[in-house]
Amino acid sequence: MDLLNIEYEKYTLKNGLDVILHQNDSLPIVSVNIWYKAGSSNEKKGKTGIAHLFEHMMFQGSQNVAKEEHFKFIQEAGGSLNGSTSFDRTNYYEKVPSNFLELILWLESDRMGFLLPAMTQEKLNNQKDVVTNERLERYDNQPYGMAWEKLIANIYPKNHPYSWPTIGFINDIASFTLDDVRNFFETYYSPANASLCIAGSFDRNKTEDMIDRYFGDIPGGKSVKLNVKNPEPIPDNIYLKHHENVQLERIYFAWRTDKGYSPDDASLDLLADILSGSKNARLYKNLVYEKEIAQDVTAYQYSGKYAGHFIIIVTAKPGYSLDVIKSEIMNELEKVCTGPIDSLELQRSKNGIKSGFIYSMQNMDTIADQLNFYNFTLNNPNSFNADLQRYESVTENDIKRVVGKYLMNNYVELRILPNEKQG
Amino acid sequence: MINRAIKPASSDDVKFRLPQVEKFETKNGLQVYFVKRTQLPILRFNLILDAGSKSDPEGKKGMVNLFAMMLDEGAGEYNALQLNDEFDMLGSNFDISANNDNVFISLRTLKEHAERSLQLFSDVVTKPHFNEKAFAREKRKILTRLLQLKDDPDEIANIIFEKHIFEDNPYSYPVIGFEEDINRISIEDLKTFYRNTLTPNNCKLIIVGDSDKDYILSLLDKYFSDWQYNNSFSYTPPAVKKNPNKIFLVHKEGAVQTEIRIGHISGERNSPDYFSKLILNTILGGQFTSRINLNLREDKGYTYGAFSRFSYYKDASYYFVSTSVNAENTGNAVKEILKELEGIKDGVTSGELEFAKSSSIRKFPSNFETNRHIASNISALVIHSLPDNYFDNYLDNIRMVTIDDVNRSATNSISAEDALIVVVGDKKIIKSQLTDLSKEITELESTIF
Repeated sequence: MDLLNIEYEKYTLKNGLDVILHQNDSLPIVSVNIWYKAGSSNEKKGKTGIAHLFEHMMFQGSQNVAKEEHFKFIQEAGGSLNGSTSFDRTNYYEKVPSNFLELILWLESDRMGFLLPAMTQEKLNNQKDVVTNERLERYDNQPYGMAWEKLIANIYPKNHPYSWPTIGFINDIASFTLDDVRNFFETYYSPANASLCIAGSFDRNKTEDMIDRYFGDIPGGKSVKLNVKNPEPIPDNIYLKHHENVQLERIYFAWRTDKGYSPDDASLDLLADILSGSKNARLYKNLVYEKEIAQDVTAYQYSGKYAGHFIIIVTAKPGYSLDVIKSEIMNELEKVCTGPIDSLELQRSKNGIKSGFIYSMQNMDTIADQLNFYNFTLNNPNSFNADLQRYESVTENDIKRVVGKYLMNNYVELRILPNEKQG
Repeated sequence: MINRAIKPASSDDVKFRLPQVEKFETKNGLQVYFVKRTQLPILRFNLILDAGSKSDPEGKKGMVNLFAMMLDEGAGEYNALQLNDEFDMLGSNFDISANNDNVFISLRTLKEHAERSLQLFSDVVTKPHFNEKAFAREKRKILTRLLQLKDDPDEIANIIFEKHIFEDNPYSYPVIGFEEDINRISIEDLKTFYRNTLTPNNCKLIIVGDSDKDYILSLLDKYFSDWQYNNSFSYTPPAVKKNPNKIFLVHKEGAVQTEIRIGHISGERNSPDYFSKLILNTILGGQFTSRINLNLREDKGYTYGAFSRFSYYKDASYYFVSTSVNAENTGNAVKEILKELEGIKDGVTSGELEFAKSSSIRKFPSNFETNRHIASNISALVIHSLPDNYFDNYLDNIRMVTIDDVNRSATNSISAEDALIVVVGDKKIIKSQLTDLSKEITELESTIF
């Protein structure tokens, strides 16, 4: 599809920084997006959360930018900004009026090359407090908020880098020193381990020149390769129970599947949609719509760089047992495996994915991030069509096959139950 | 070599042209706002009904929300599942939601499926089934949702805050309603509301995307021809009273964080000081580098984030600060927030003023990036009855704000003394931290609504 054939230019600076440029002049705005190939999978047990804490430190100023100025300069320019950390990577992004592109390149290059001179114990202590609060707010104090880390600790073998949460454990966050932060920076934050994407309205020659001036003299460092073996299968079904201050029971199932862009990962995404993506999706229709034994159903495939998993989450209606819900889920999976799949059923999911690709092309931040994602994953930024094609080519038999291949294996089951009433 | 010590200046000012809005009417009197955008072959339709949960009848709170949930449970020749499937097969996203002031019916579609999607849209608007079985099911879904809300400290804080800031006003109860009220609502209530309210004269339709006026109009006249005018619906807003300036402490056993809301009633949306209040709040709590967030997060480390906003409903508004802090620092955080509300009355600096104006002015083009952004900007005009040239004058209105305007707004529109305070957390840890605030404390259980 022409629409998804995104024109771009890609080149690599002498120091190893990948540069991806995509010009679109429909609005006078420009998005800058940088990926560093470092995430929580680069951490060690006992030192979890450093990648994410480090992301926070990147907003604390650098050699030529005082604390708070990073935000202030961008917001003064009418821009928006943020960053995020996942298992595999950390990204930083800004969207500004086109005439402020140089400001962003200055800020991003200053923290890529010259962060450490501005690092202080005071800033670190402050951001450790902020991140601790982030964890408490987003996980510990949320209903069902601890489910995620209980699941991954069991889906993946001990010491597998996906077995701990990206936000980190409270005690680990508290333990980090300035040396930890410095080491992390020196190991991972270098041009050779990063990719810079600019999408939107800009003058190409001037922009290439600016990139060269701002990033060209930063010492290259090296691209870090992590050696992660395919995890061993889950040896036996694992059953977990956790009591919490909640009203409704909830059950989670997790199976190990395969990594991103493995041959089966598009089929698993489509399977998730067939199970829970709409009112007519199998689990939704059966459990929520017809039998009304569940309040909500979610299914998704997570496809990381080193491994993947498939998750089903169902919240029980008051008075209905998780055992009944479990047997319904297992029946539905069995039915996908052995019964018919209507070709229209699969088409419905494919159509949703296809139109989703097109709708997402409205937002420059999304395009820039996606170009970096494809570059990171496939070494080819313009992979929108190829990506869509993976979904288009999935057959009914593929859906059945992946259920048999992955979801009939051992799984982790987690039940979150309301605290026992006292008195 | 570049000199990194020098912050680069901006290059020439950018040129930005506002999207042009065409206004027209269908044969049955529906007003349409259309923005043509041809970058991508997609379209967005937002139908805005000028009636929301504030018009729920006494004893039937939650009716309009239930109406919104029921409207697409079967329409025309399709039952609910079939209707959903029709939209999904086209790759279209169809959604209905309700808030205090409005019901929103929205559609996002590929251009190639615009006509078919709009036909289905018109079925929902003109031929809904209001099926008994679906009604019972949606009711049960809401009752369970009400239970779930009791777990969520953020939602509890918002609901209790609005309950007390508005007291007897119809904005005081939650859009979702109350358990005993939900049980009292009949399907006839929804049908009556539908007949009297969801009519072309009570709605405005906003369309953004790749099409043209004549074609749109022909489709609307074709598919909405039997949608009838009816003027039996009316709503008169009651006067807004001053809020109590007390503390409400909602106990949540074992909570490690405390949700905090602090604020008071404020002036209406289309008053002339809107822009100076916007600039004021940008300085006080609207951005990352605003005073409140820099103090609570970047200086004290009490929170992951804190912000404030003037929140505007159609007939009332309030100013509020929102944050979530670790339980041990609840009292400290409340005190720092009140200190900021007091401190702003000493006046803002010219640096702060320039920062806030620059930020709001330069951000303007990115408020029109997606079809959704544009539709939502036009929605604001419709909901608050703002003039059609509102966005043409927007930048000038911001440029004209002076430091005296902002300082006057700080004096008139921000008050620590008048502030209502809601905290949701573990009373065993937080109550003693709040006793020296010289505000009366009322304790509530988190299961109260």
